[in-house]
Amino acid sequence: MKAVGRPARGAKSPGAGGGAAPRRSLVWLQGLACGALATLATPLAALLAVLLLPGFLVLLIDRVPGKPVARAMLLCGAAASVAPARQLWDHGLSMDNSLDLIANMLVVSGAWAAAAAGWLLAELAPVVVLLVLEATTRRRLAELRGARARLAADWGLAAAEDDPGPG
Amino acid sequence: MADTPAAGSAPPGLVAGQFRVDFVAPLRDAGGGVEAFAAHDEQHSGAALMALRLGRFAPARERPITLLAGLNIPGLLLPLAHGVAALPDGTECGVVICQAPPGPSLAAAPRAWSEAELLASVLKPAALALDALAARGLTHRALRPDNIFRAGPGEAVVLGAAWAAPPASHQNAVFEPPYVAACRPAGRGEGSIADDIYALGVTLLTLALGHPPLAGLDEGAVIQRKLGLGSYAALIGEARLPGLLSDLLRGMLAEDPAHRPPPQALLDPSAARSRRVAARPPRRAQRPLMIAGQSIWEARTLAHALFRHPEEGVRLVRSLHLDHWLRRSLGDAALTSRVDEVVRQRGEQPPDDRRADATMVLRLVALLDPLAPLAWRGLALWPDGLGPLLAVSLGEGGELAGRLEEIIDSEAVAAWAQARAEHCAAPALRQGAQQQRLWLRRGGPSGGLARVCYALNPLLPCASPLLAGKVVARLADLLPALEATAQHPERRQGLPLDAPIAAFIAARQDGRPGGERGGAASDGVEIESLRLLARLQESFAAPPLPGLAAWLAEQMGPAIDTWNHRGRRAELAEHLRRLARTGQLPLLLALLDNPDTRAADAQGLKQARAALDRINSERARLAANARARRALATTLGHEIALGIGMTALAASLGWMVLG
Repeated sequence: MKAVGRPARGAKSPGAGGGAAPRRSLVWLQGLACGALATLATPLAALLAVLLLPGFLVLLIDRVPGKPVARAMLLCGAAASVAPARQLWDHGLSMDNSLDLIANMLVVSGAWAAAAAGWLLAELAPVVVLLVLEATTRRRLAELRGARARLAADWGLAAAEDDPGPG
Repeated sequence: MADTPAAGSAPPGLVAGQFRVDFVAPLRDAGGGVEAFAAHDEQHSGAALMALRLGRFAPARERPITLLAGLNIPGLLLPLAHGVAALPDGTECGVVICQAPPGPSLAAAPRAWSEAELLASVLKPAALALDALAARGLTHRALRPDNIFRAGPGEAVVLGAAWAAPPASHQNAVFEPPYVAACRPAGRGEGSIADDIYALGVTLLTLALGHPPLAGLDEGAVIQRKLGLGSYAALIGEARLPGLLSDLLRGMLAEDPAHRPPPQALLDPSAARSRRVAARPPRRAQRPLMIAGQSIWEARTLAHALFRHPEEGVRLVRSLHLDHWLRRSLGDAALTSRVDEVVRQRGEQPPDDRRADATMVLRLVALLDPLAPLAWRGLALWPDGLGPLLAVSLGEGGELAGRLEEIIDSEAVAAWAQARAEHCAAPALRQGAQQQRLWLRRGGPSGGLARVCYALNPLLPCASPLLAGKVVARLADLLPALEATAQHPERRQGLPLDAPIAAFIAARQDGRPGGERGGAASDGVEIESLRLLARLQESFAAPPLPGLAAWLAEQMGPAIDTWNHRGRRAELAEHLRRLARTGQLPLLLALLDNPDTRAADAQGLKQARAALDRINSERARLAANARARRALATTLGHEIALGIGMTALAASLGWMVLG
């Protein structure tokens, strides 16, 4: 029963190994893809490295499990980097063209602005969701308070303890 | 027997619907100590009648009134009816309608009667009347010259009325045996016909002498003298009486009732003269025993002294003086061993138990003088006088009520009967004492001393102040009287059922279906009161009582408040007010005492409590989940941000590929 109800101390959770292995393989694949990109298409890799630099930096300092802020910045930055990457592809995948684009402040600032938008989104979305949840909770508490007051009035039950706040 | 009809069915102002009392025409000296007024039969004209006014706490004698109704017994003023009469001031009083005396009493013109006149005009007619009473198991208990009447010289005497007061309560100590005279007037009991023979004997002696014997002595001295010398010697004294009368009186004044001639024997004085029962003279001690300064020479006077001075008796027992005197001076070994047994039984109780002391003295008195009445801490009574004495205690209260309560609670009557079992019906007395104790100890307003009092006095009116001067002796008259009170809103204070009324109902309902409470033990006093009165209305088919119903509806607040649903309370109160207009108390009871609606109310409360518990737990859960909510908001927010980023990337890629 002990083995079924709760794993023995020191024993690995069945899901832990299974979850870590794909993640490691994914990181390895990402590294392989990045390596292949840097080797086979160095100008494109240089362009993307500059355009996605804010995301990569946050990826290093983000301590939140799953690094949601960095991921959001990278996704937004990537969305803004698609157009310069195609421009580089269309004009020839050379280092000169890549440096021209990197030197174009409009291109770089657009990609970085998109990363900043991703950061802002990752920071604001939890606040908005929390506001929605708190509003829902308060409305429910008000309903419960009303129901309790009706019961107390109808049945003479003792008025309950002080109204607890939503927290 | 004409009885008090239910209010509303009798012509107003008439007793038992037939007799009119003329309260402005009092009849002096006609009632044998009770106030008497002229009365008239509205339906039949005939013999003169009188109405005897009952005292507030002096109940009429139910058995004689019931058994003598409609009879024709020569030489006796018979009761015809009893009921309630309206006084000129508007209040009410109980009355007994009775034949009026044919002439003045024998005490009106004192003179010495001749022996022949006494035998022919007094003894024989009185013996005839007493014989008729004895044949019905009744007694008179008010024989004395001022309650015996005669139409004129040569006429036979007529015994006066004795039905409107407790037996012998108006008798002077001279006319009663010492064992009866020692009792409180109301506690003398119905007694036996032998007590009437004694009183008749003293009456004959008074008439023969031309003056009452032992005149000038107070009651205590009369009793003491009779006990010390014997009644005959004490009463006759130095007087010289004719031989036949003297012999008759010797028998009639015997101390032991069993030694007195029955009324039948007195019809032939010559034969009665020869009927002599030799009484054994009491054993006299060699040395006296001193109790409260009195020298005691015999067991009989010792019993009387112990009764009068119970604390002194206890002291004598504890100091062993009593034992020494009985053993050495009186020399009665059998009596001494029985007394020792009583003292030994007392030793089994705690030393400071006053009630055990009183029981011991009671038993000692009964052993020392089996003819003596029940003696309890200076109070003497005969067991059948307990009821009237309780009625007196309702008016007096205080010490008398306390002692009577002790007598009942300790079943003193049973102990007394057991100590003198050969002189009384001990099993019946014990059974009665147990029943009285049950009534006394019953909880709630339907028990207690008042319950015993009403149970033992069937004609005693209810003493409740709520009745406001109305005399209610029968259960059927209670509701109309309360309805009359209810017509005065200023008198509608509290419930219309106080402790005296509850005890009255409980006592009068004994033996009737639904006589005891039938509700749940949790019912409040309001519902219980309503139930009692509703049952009365049903059982007597009483007319609608809108005033009483409104009074009850006003007082049902606490009963309504026992309902849990507040809205239902308001509905009930309104419904109750509407139903009260019908005057039907059972409808009010059905509304408030409905088990189905009660169960629904209880079920509703149970569900409400469960719902409240659910609400409270959900509120607590919501309050405790703030941290989880914040974590959820963070997770969700980040997921949303990632989703938007993915969407933007997909859109950008799509634009690049497609466009």
